Amino acid sequence: MAFASVTSASLLGVTGEPVTVEVHVGVGLPGFTIVGQPDETCREARDRVRAALLSSGLPWPNRRITINLAMPNAHRRGGSGLDLAIAVGLLVVQEVIPQEAVSQSAFIAELGLDGSLRPVVGLVPLVAAVDDRRVVVAGDGAREATLVAAGHVGALDTLAQVVSCLRGEVEWPTTTPPYDLTSALPAQKDLVDVHGQIAARHALEIAAAGFHHLLMVGPPGAGKSMLAQRLVSILPPLSREESITTTMVHSAAHEAIPSGGVVLSPPFRAPHHSASLTAMVGGGTSAMRPGEISLATNGVLFLDELGEFAPSVLDALRQPLEEGIVRLARARSSVTMPAKFLLVAATNPCPCGEGTPGLCICDDRARMRYARRFSGPLLDRFDLRVAVTRPEVGDLLDAHTGESSAVVARRVMRARSYAMTRAGLPNAMLSGELLEQHAPVTPAAAALLRTQLERGALSGRGYHRIRRVARTIADLVDQPDTVDECHVAAALALRVRIAPHQVA
Amino acid sequence: MGNTVLDDEGVVAATMAAMPRVGSRRLCGLLVQRSPREVWEMLDADVRDTELVAKMADRLAETGIGVTYVGHESYPPALLGDGARPSVLFWRGDVKAVRYRRVGIVGTRSASAAGRYMASHLAFDLSMNGVATVSGLARGIDGWAHRGAMLAAQRSTSSAPPIAVVASGLDVIYPKEHAELWEWVATNGLLVSESPPGTMPEAYRFPLRNRILAALSEVLVVVESKAAGGSMITVEEAQKRDIAVMAVPGSPRTASAAGTNLLLQQGCAPVVSVDDVLVALGLDHRRAHPYIYDPRKTPTESDARVLAAIGSEALTLDQILVRVSGDMVATALALGRLEADGWLAQTAGWWEVLGRLPDERYG
Repeated sequence: MAFASVTSASLLGVTGEPVTVEVHVGVGLPGFTIVGQPDETCREARDRVRAALLSSGLPWPNRRITINLAMPNAHRRGGSGLDLAIAVGLLVVQEVIPQEAVSQSAFIAELGLDGSLRPVVGLVPLVAAVDDRRVVVAGDGAREATLVAAGHVGALDTLAQVVSCLRGEVEWPTTTPPYDLTSALPAQKDLVDVHGQIAARHALEIAAAGFHHLLMVGPPGAGKSMLAQRLVSILPPLSREESITTTMVHSAAHEAIPSGGVVLSPPFRAPHHSASLTAMVGGGTSAMRPGEISLATNGVLFLDELGEFAPSVLDALRQPLEEGIVRLARARSSVTMPAKFLLVAATNPCPCGEGTPGLCICDDRARMRYARRFSGPLLDRFDLRVAVTRPEVGDLLDAHTGESSAVVARRVMRARSYAMTRAGLPNAMLSGELLEQHAPVTPAAAALLRTQLERGALSGRGYHRIRRVARTIADLVDQPDTVDECHVAAALALRVRIAPHQVA
Repeated sequence: MGNTVLDDEGVVAATMAAMPRVGSRRLCGLLVQRSPREVWEMLDADVRDTELVAKMADRLAETGIGVTYVGHESYPPALLGDGARPSVLFWRGDVKAVRYRRVGIVGTRSASAAGRYMASHLAFDLSMNGVATVSGLARGIDGWAHRGAMLAAQRSTSSAPPIAVVASGLDVIYPKEHAELWEWVATNGLLVSESPPGTMPEAYRFPLRNRILAALSEVLVVVESKAAGGSMITVEEAQKRDIAVMAVPGSPRTASAAGTNLLLQQGCAPVVSVDDVLVALGLDHRRAHPYIYDPRKTPTESDARVLAAIGSEALTLDQILVRVSGDMVATALALGRLEADGWLAQTAGWWEVLGRLPDERYG
């Protein structure tokens, strides 16, 4: 037998695609060639596969070996996950394993030189791509694989075990039972630690309930990061689909996945302000690694010192913020990755950081220049903009603490459920039409909005954002039908003007 | 004649005033010597319909309008000696308001911003000094004068009551946009009219109204007026009665000040501040400190507490919430209102009070 074909998968962005690994062994000078646009890690497979076969006491064909990676589209394919498929293909050609044994299986694992199986980057999306057949993975990746595999998962530790199972000498091990997605969430930082900061707490609650992007403006040491970290503790828990999407992205980016094998709580990503455009939106490698915005999917992306980020990086956030996905196009491939994140940003109010009128040493011009670092369209996308101040000493020492995350989370859940039953969307995503339908304002509230528009204190875009936030505020106080004047006023108070004379 | 309907002399007088066939001048002449009941008996039998009296009684009771007539004890003394006094006056509010010192403030309906400001400021200062503002509740200067008086009443409990003389019936509010002001005058001062309830504001009634307005004023101040118009008619009526007419100077380039400047050329005394008017009234205008005129809408009690909590500092919403220990939503609403009314300014999240707090005084 000179030819064998084995199924594996290759990763592009956050999705796996099935790859047919064709193995041909024929006459000619002994050699090993991989064709079909393999990437660097894939070319290294030759050495790993050879060593693994020999270490496992399996034969290596000393003839001309050609491997073809066949796939419907033209992008570069690869990854070390193809190792096992190549090794199995060679064994089929040498008739160590019968071809029938591999036709209903897919193999995704990297080989160690000693013949051991290792899990690979992006196991979750890779397994999802070939979930119509038995998937053979490394033992360490079993938990991730079973999350998405519809069929049988064969989780084994060595190449020799794989051969034994395929030859029918040993029974396949039973797969790990599916995870209980409702199991207890990992411990998180709790809002109970926050002293004072009443307005900021409200803003967090509103942001969580309505998925409204939040900008905190305040001096250093005001607790902006502390507040942001606690936002995830009051977000509604991830649904099964959200959980899988987020786990896939984390898997594709080789980010640590909790020991349960699945990301259960909303992720919190806080890249440093030196982050490059690629690190933020993704791309870079031929496999198009997901960026921070994708890793924050269904969770929080926290940008501390917003003004220090490169303007190009910040402006790249605008399209994902609108659409909830990021579309990356490169010469060889284009991918779409999820990027439905809640943006929370923090900035100092001015160069000196103090901000408080009278105490701040910056003149108006310096403040204007500082505020101009944020493009108007980006600022506009923050539904909530709150000023945060250092808590007063009395507040810090006060034994009386605020509500705990659990209490706030219950209100958030209730408010979110109102929004979901009404429109099937969080309030921040309501379109203009849906807004009219689901967030009718009382005449008093309409009058207040009209005054603000007439005074020039509110732009047309701001008007809709205020109405969405007001909708959430009304939901939080258990008033899911109409939006009243006070809710609009609260929304307005939580959307401060950043620069002097700037329209909200 | 035991007809109980006719027992209320005021209602009888009102009924006769509303009769088209009874002339005001003739009725006036008769009422000086006889009671309304006696005059009623003198009418032709075919017009003496007691139904009309009963209807008028109902109407007056329903609208809360009072009646006074020449010869009645509550008839304003200022009008008694007048050649063209109205025979019957309809009123709402407190007739005792005419016991205050009274200054008429009139002017054009299409006033400049400076004119509106002056009218309001002058009426505010006069009211604070215990002088009642007499005006016609028309659009423009008239309305702004009473707005100034209203502001004074909100800032001080000892301010003088407003007096308004209108052309229509007291239950026919004209112009409609002054409904709130109309009601405020009726409850806090005196609202009078010569016209019976239900009378529409026909054009010919306004010059007639102006004569009563002039007669009720001790000094008439024209804030801004075109060369011809209702205010000039009031001026003529005042001059006929030897009532001092004063005028606020305006720019020669302002069309709406042409009339007032003309008056000044003719020898009227100019008004540049309340002191000029107080001197004309023979009142002492020296004070320890002047009243502060602040035309911003007076904040409600709870809003004023928020303002006071901010004081002279710059605070964020957080800090304000701690100080007023209030609900976020309610405080936000207060802040929004105060900002809209010009009491607060917000910069990048910090709130600051603009100008003086409403109860602050020089001292």
